[in-house]
Amino acid sequence: MFSYNFQLALKSLKERPALTLLTILAIATGLGLYTTVKTMSYQSSQVPLAHKSKNIFLLQMDNREITADAVEHQARMVDTTYKDTLNLMQLEMPGVKQSFNWSTYGILNVEDENINPLQTTAAVVNSSFFTMFETPFLYGNGWDKTTEESGEAVIIISKLMNDKLFGGRNSVGESVRINTHVLKIIGVLDTWYLSSKFYNRSFWPGYPDNFFIPYTFAMDNNLPRSAGFDCWAANADISRSFRTENKDRLINSECAWVTFWAEVPEAKVADYRQQIMSYMESEQTLGRFPRELAMYLTNLNDQYNYVNGRNQFLNTFSVLATLFFAVCLLNAVGILLAKFMRRKKEVSLRRALGAKKKTIIMQHLLEVVIIGLLGGLLGIVISYFGLQGMMSIRLYSSDYTVRIEDIQPLFQLNWVMIANAFVTGIICTIVASIYPIWRLCNIPPASQLKSQ
Amino acid sequence: MLRMENVSKIYRTDLVETHALRKVDLHIKSGEFVSVTGPSGSGKTTFLNLAGALETFEEGDYFLDGHNVKGLSDDKLSEIRNQKIGFIFQSFNLLPDLPLFDNVDVPLRYRGMSAKERKERIEHALETVGLASRMQHLPTQLSGGQQQRVAIARAIAGDPLFLLADEPTGNLDSLMAQQVMELLEDINSKGTTIIMVTHDDQLARRAHRNIQIFDGQVSDIEKSVADDVIRSA
Amino acid sequence: MDIKPIFLGLKQNKFMAMLMIIQIAFTMGVLSSSVLVATTTLQEWNKLSGIPHEDIVRISPEFFDDSQDVGQAMFNDLKRVKEIPSVINAAPSNAVPFTAENMIDVYLATEEDAQGFKTVVFESDEQIIDVLQLSLVDGRLITASDVVKGDIESTPQSAAEVMISQDMAQVLFGDDSAIGKTIWLAKNADPVKVIGVYSNFMTGERLNGRGKSYQSIIRPQVKWSQTQQPHYLMRVEQGTAVALLEDIIDVFYLERGRYINSSELLKRTQKRMYDGRGSRALTFLVLSVVLLIITGLGITGLTAFQVTQKRKQIGTRRALGAKKSDIMRYFLTENSILTLIGLVIGVAVTLSITFELSEQAGQNFFNLSVLLMTALLLWVVNILAVWFPAKRAANIAPAIVTRSA
Repeated sequence: MFSYNFQLALKSLKERPALTLLTILAIATGLGLYTTVKTMSYQSSQVPLAHKSKNIFLLQMDNREITADAVEHQARMVDTTYKDTLNLMQLEMPGVKQSFNWSTYGILNVEDENINPLQTTAAVVNSSFFTMFETPFLYGNGWDKTTEESGEAVIIISKLMNDKLFGGRNSVGESVRINTHVLKIIGVLDTWYLSSKFYNRSFWPGYPDNFFIPYTFAMDNNLPRSAGFDCWAANADISRSFRTENKDRLINSECAWVTFWAEVPEAKVADYRQQIMSYMESEQTLGRFPRELAMYLTNLNDQYNYVNGRNQFLNTFSVLATLFFAVCLLNAVGILLAKFMRRKKEVSLRRALGAKKKTIIMQHLLEVVIIGLLGGLLGIVISYFGLQGMMSIRLYSSDYTVRIEDIQPLFQLNWVMIANAFVTGIICTIVASIYPIWRLCNIPPASQLKSQ
Repeated sequence: MLRMENVSKIYRTDLVETHALRKVDLHIKSGEFVSVTGPSGSGKTTFLNLAGALETFEEGDYFLDGHNVKGLSDDKLSEIRNQKIGFIFQSFNLLPDLPLFDNVDVPLRYRGMSAKERKERIEHALETVGLASRMQHLPTQLSGGQQQRVAIARAIAGDPLFLLADEPTGNLDSLMAQQVMELLEDINSKGTTIIMVTHDDQLARRAHRNIQIFDGQVSDIEKSVADDVIRSA
Repeated sequence: MDIKPIFLGLKQNKFMAMLMIIQIAFTMGVLSSSVLVATTTLQEWNKLSGIPHEDIVRISPEFFDDSQDVGQAMFNDLKRVKEIPSVINAAPSNAVPFTAENMIDVYLATEEDAQGFKTVVFESDEQIIDVLQLSLVDGRLITASDVVKGDIESTPQSAAEVMISQDMAQVLFGDDSAIGKTIWLAKNADPVKVIGVYSNFMTGERLNGRGKSYQSIIRPQVKWSQTQQPHYLMRVEQGTAVALLEDIIDVFYLERGRYINSSELLKRTQKRMYDGRGSRALTFLVLSVVLLIITGLGITGLTAFQVTQKRKQIGTRRALGAKKSDIMRYFLTENSILTLIGLVIGVAVTLSITFELSEQAGQNFFNLSVLLMTALLLWVVNILAVWFPAKRAANIAPAIVTRSA
């Protein structure tokens, strides 16, 4: 019976090739766009370090003034002050890693006058940054605590910079200059892809940092700090100046600006929380933390969820694509109806000759599934081109300051999305065919045979 | 009033030429009630299509009211059908979406009459067929005989030159068929010409004159009857 | 043509009618909002820049080495760059057209409640007039002797005479001549005198968004410090800019201890001004066109289906005297009724979308004539979509009525 139905389905597909093609096209176009958007939001919500992202926490302590507003959301909560950062780093807890960073910028240049200097983004970090975030090294390694504490002038550069300044050779041991400071290269990172730069909480796509330097060196030499400074009233008026000036005042202030991370195993989260609370209590006795004690540990997964929920372009686009798909399906309903109702007479004859309703349904369902499969296949092809198109638009609208390598993964189809598109294509086609098939199988047997 | 001279109709496919009608000569006078009979495949339907200006033909001439129909444009043929011919079909062919009033209205609309005149004519026609009280009903709410009476009302509302009936009782049981025939005879007695195509001999005999089509050729019974009458006289 | 039978027909076919209406409504919503956003954006794009922006190059160098003499470097830069054969003229400037973001208020009086007028001040030397190809509208041009030059530390004095743009003059003084008038570039600043009025040129996005694209002031002074140096604007021979860019950058790298922050044609600076919104509008526009095609095909399909369903009825109408054109008109009118309903709903959708977008962007996207044009376009597409199946309907032979099947 199945093979007979299958033959009938194939025959009927070939019967009105234009209508069949039209149905497939409508479904494919809608599905193509839908998959494009879904892939974009899927890829941009890929949490880095997936194997431990739920154990990597952003730490925020509410050190604000008593007059400050109530906390609306963790994302609006302040970062950490410099003195708390240093104090917390003293905490010893086996199995717990802590790391912090802020952003800076500078002009990288080398002795060789044939190579033009480059201005680039950079991160100021501590030694555990590289192990906690598992940065891939092409050459050399990160620095250790001793190097860090000595304030030694060391630097780790990205592959991109290494290619530009040293033609891709192993540059460990050589020197570069940030502005006029000379630093020794101790490591070169390999391509480090992040769906977005989460570690400084900017969540910008496609802008990995190009060099990493120890926080001690950065502070000693007063490299610019590109951070938002959440200051108490006492420093509010000069908070902007902290970017380049008033370093000593900043160090001792209640200005929060350092992004602080902790990697805590599941079993120790409660302990860690307790330890932070007791630190805050002890500081409170010294007159700090004037508000009711509050601290937040937010893991990477939760942060990504929050950020993705706020991507306005993707959200609008998503709604649009869904509605677009809906229209395409409405279209398919119309075309399928037209296609099936031409077969009224044949169906009423088959019914008269003993075909059950179920058989009629099966026959047409098979046809619809084949249409859905083809639509899904074509839809995937369309979404591939859609994604390429969206990538070109991204490159264009970011004025080509982003490299294609940096954003390509955001526009990459994968098996999950392909499987998704297939299943969605078939299910939606079946849903679209419910009404047409219902109409068809309810034709009374032989009703169309009487000469009118 | 209706005159066919030497009319032939040939259907061509790639391989075969079928002579559906051969050199038909025919004259029907005003006020006649003519039946057209013949077995299936004899050319009855082709005759009906030509007489009703539903199809064009290549050879011969067809005069309606003195005007040659041959070679007229599609729009002109539409006009002729609309103004000179009232159709009655075996399967009624009422428009299922429209109430009776609007069904009868269809040909009048295409004639571009004033609303007032249309209304008078529709009401009059429906009264004639005895369905004036059901003007706002849909065709599906009526019996077959009633539906055919609506079709008759639609055919006579425009005061055509003649009525062209195609097996008007073919889909009806005998009682209803009887009623419809009586209605047609009544209409004819008031002066309307009727041409009725049928395969039913009994019915055909109720007409004044019977034309037989056989293998695409026409033999005129009335004429021979008339000749007999003359001879016997 | 009477529409009553059409309505009666639609009543029997509610599902089809709904399908069509929803499709048209949604297509209208997406199409017209996209077109509204796109036209609003492109309208700005098409505004005259007032300068030959395809032939002007901007370079923004930045010193990282404190030991360099910025003043000397500037002197060298200008000398070297003018030696390149295709470079016609060059001027230092603290702001660049299309990106001037340092919006200030200029005043006609010093009182506490004096009204401020938004503008951007371009600090440059006398060459800027030639570089930007501005023309003199009133008064006189600035000359080399007007220009105050020097290191910020050692040059406390500022230029006391300025030129203003035509639009600026109009805003400040209306139809009166601006020449000789006094203005204040800040509430507590020294007054400056207007000596000339020049032709308009586009300043930057922030003023553009406020419909004040052309309000600017040129002040003849060039000041620098180790951390604050002017950009350079260079006009080159027509069409040579792209090829020259590398050479120009090389010339600037002859000074050591600094890097080139930005080097581009002003054409690209202008492009960047519209990037985000422009590409988004474009994306939606392309989607709308695809949607329009799909909707068109869908309507064709649905109408073709109706025609198949109604073959006998159409034949009957033809037999009863309907002309081919009557049949065509029947389907076109039926479709137009549905389109009209769909469009009305679609306009409501559009209004809510554009309202939302306008709120977000702080810019009014609504434009009645564009909306009506889009509706008309959609209607025409619908007519086309119905035309072919309707044509087929009209070609149904009236003889179909005598066929007993």
